[in-house]
Amino acid sequence: MRKKRPVSFRGLSQAFFLLLFTYLLWTATYPLNVAVPLKAVFGADPLVTFFTAISERILTEGLVLGAFILVMTFVFGRFFCGWVCPLGAVLDIMSLGRKRKDAICAANHKNLYRAKFYLLTGLFILAVCGIQLVWFFAPTVIMGRFISLNFIPAFTAAIDSALIFLIKKFQLYGAGLDFYRLLKSSILGIKTYYFSHAVIIALFFTGILAGTFFTRRLWCRAVCPLGALFALISKKAFFTRFVSPCARCNACVAACRMGAIKEDASYFKAECILCRDCIRACAGNNTRFAFPANTRKAEQKRPAFKSKRGVSRRDFLFLFCAGITAAAIKAGHKPGAIIKNAFVLRPPAALQEEKFLNRCVRCGNCMKVCPTNALQPVSFEAGFAGIWTPQLLPQIGYCEYNCNLCAKVCPTGAITDVGLERKKKLKLGLAKIDRRICLPWHKKKECLVCEEHCPIPDKAIRFKKELVEGKELLRPYVDINLCTGCGICVTRCPVQPRRAVKIFPTSLDRII
Amino acid sequence: MHNLKNCFKRGLEKKLSRRKFIKLSFAALAAIFARDSIFFKAIFAASNKEESFGRKNRGIKCAHDIVCVQGQNPYEITAKAIELIGGMQKFVAKNSVVLIKPNIAWDRAPEYAATTNPDVVAALIDLCFAAGARRVNVFDNTCNESKRCYFNSGIAQSARQHGANVFSPDHWNVVRAKFKYESPMENQPIFKEALECDTFINVPILKHHGLTELTLSMKNLMGVCSGKRGMIHFDIGRKLVDLADFIQPDLNVIDAYRVLLRHGPQGGNLEDVEYKNKVIVGTDPTLLDSYACRLMGKDPFAVPYIKSAIERKFGKFDLEQADILSVSA
Repeated sequence: MRKKRPVSFRGLSQAFFLLLFTYLLWTATYPLNVAVPLKAVFGADPLVTFFTAISERILTEGLVLGAFILVMTFVFGRFFCGWVCPLGAVLDIMSLGRKRKDAICAANHKNLYRAKFYLLTGLFILAVCGIQLVWFFAPTVIMGRFISLNFIPAFTAAIDSALIFLIKKFQLYGAGLDFYRLLKSSILGIKTYYFSHAVIIALFFTGILAGTFFTRRLWCRAVCPLGALFALISKKAFFTRFVSPCARCNACVAACRMGAIKEDASYFKAECILCRDCIRACAGNNTRFAFPANTRKAEQKRPAFKSKRGVSRRDFLFLFCAGITAAAIKAGHKPGAIIKNAFVLRPPAALQEEKFLNRCVRCGNCMKVCPTNALQPVSFEAGFAGIWTPQLLPQIGYCEYNCNLCAKVCPTGAITDVGLERKKKLKLGLAKIDRRICLPWHKKKECLVCEEHCPIPDKAIRFKKELVEGKELLRPYVDINLCTGCGICVTRCPVQPRRAVKIFPTSLDRII
Repeated sequence: MHNLKNCFKRGLEKKLSRRKFIKLSFAALAAIFARDSIFFKAIFAASNKEESFGRKNRGIKCAHDIVCVQGQNPYEITAKAIELIGGMQKFVAKNSVVLIKPNIAWDRAPEYAATTNPDVVAALIDLCFAAGARRVNVFDNTCNESKRCYFNSGIAQSARQHGANVFSPDHWNVVRAKFKYESPMENQPIFKEALECDTFINVPILKHHGLTELTLSMKNLMGVCSGKRGMIHFDIGRKLVDLADFIQPDLNVIDAYRVLLRHGPQGGNLEDVEYKNKVIVGTDPTLLDSYACRLMGKDPFAVPYIKSAIERKFGKFDLEQADILSVSA
């Protein structure tokens, strides 16, 4: 017998947080006047904040919010997974309406459920060694990256082209066009964003979603290190599930989306995400969640959950090997070992390459906020370690002279906020004119686009009047002292597709 | 582990029947066909078909050929200049649509004199509405990111406050330029709003420019072009005169309140900005540009588009015979 409540508070909470998350990422655009700073969004994820704090030896504002969530977890258990986590919400949507009993449960597949703890331990050891790898597994980051780089560009482009289609088809050039422009200047954004190689990010995300076809919330059960962190804490959480009297119908065992309930109706507290599926499934309406101190009966009936105390021999060996591996990686991580960044332009005021790769959590905020769409995800140009870090592609966009929004949204400070005046002087690279294809040099035609667009007040690209074949011609020269490598000369160069200006990256002005 | 294996097995056992396979294939084909034929073609193909031979100047007779007003307040001197040339009623009919095309090309504050003074634009908007305009459009195809330019130049705020319709032009809503004579500007995409207006008011700012020495009314018209604008810079004189012939602005208002003397067209140093405190108004772009050139102490023949216009006899250029009124407010 299923009791149906018209409104599920958990569903509302999930929807609220998913929409809030999407909204905050959506508003990450010029002029960036949002009440909640974007840094705080990923700061709320304790995995990101604590592990970057450990590996980078830094203190961020996010630690306070992260600590608050950990304390809440100690009281209530894994409420974050069931009620807040945006990735969890999408996974729940994926498995909506499937009621069959899951083949996997915590009682019979301990190794599967244990995987996430090993992962968390590995990440922790790496973090202690100074290597940050949480970016690959942190659920909020995975979700944020998907929303910023896949969902929002695709969604806005679809609405944009649909509206254009309607306006053209039905000749709505009056009020229709005005409405379209209102949308464009407010929520849709003037520019439709495009991210190269974003399909890899989408595939990665789809892979996580595909896990739900095997069993509901497979990611949360087996992989998620944030879930593991919460599970460790919530083992001793106060908030507990009680069943009395139990009819032994096992309806809750089938209903549990985490497979956390045993055949005898007791449960693994560490795997419970407080989704309240069991309360709804319970035939006698006898399941409830409460603080044990409130009920005397509960003291006696505290579920028998025997965990192996201490570290087993196997665990010890695993940790030992993991530690040695991490140390080996760290040893091979010498300064200057990474030289693959020779052709990757980083955003202004980024840390030195090695530190930058370690600090960046690949959340995609900087790429989302960049007004010219210049920041793009790297695939493998910066080595395997550099995947999905931002690079500036001057063929697509350029670094806007009066703008440092990317520094303002970076949650870990991989792009440092040095202030607008200092940012204007930081060198990303150096422009070099390719005289083999440049119009005034090669074809002896007049062209001034690079000089005109150069944003440096004293002009880093200047002209010299030269006598060419009996005719006066202006030819561009780059002033290497003034050029910051913002790339607008490449973006606007009329020689296409191969531009007559190229930016050579420099790491001299990167922040130490 | 046994159950886990079963789970995978179950997924594999769901066989694809022949009927289902055929259905799926047809669905996929239909989707591809629909995408290629109807939807996308309707968007992209249609936009390239429309052609236009441009606007026609109505040949409005004014009180003077050129009016130049000097004063401290940019709003007041603009209003005064329009009043002296014959009033806005001459140019703007009742219930008409007016396009004001200022220079909003760069992400610079008004003090840097890289973009048109927002007060000059505001004065023109007010005068248009007072003359009975139904709608005043304000736009420019910017060089830097458009939202930043619109707001940092102060034009978006000031124009919206005075009731104008400020927008970023849509690159799909264009026509192809056609000419009665052979022109390198043939097929250049031009924003429809530039042609679908009853009155075209061109509001450039007087400033230095690397290639053309000065940015004046004809140069400002580049902002109505969509597509690749980089190539316009080759043989720029001829192309800009063709463009001016295509658009034929009814009224040109040159904002010479703040003037950028060096490092144009973008500027960035306050030392490069000089206060001339002037607004110059006229109908003939060639005559007006020659006058502005003289004001800056430059030879009109050094500016490629003025030279080209004079050679082609596009408009008047003889400043000695022109009726010029220069006053101080």
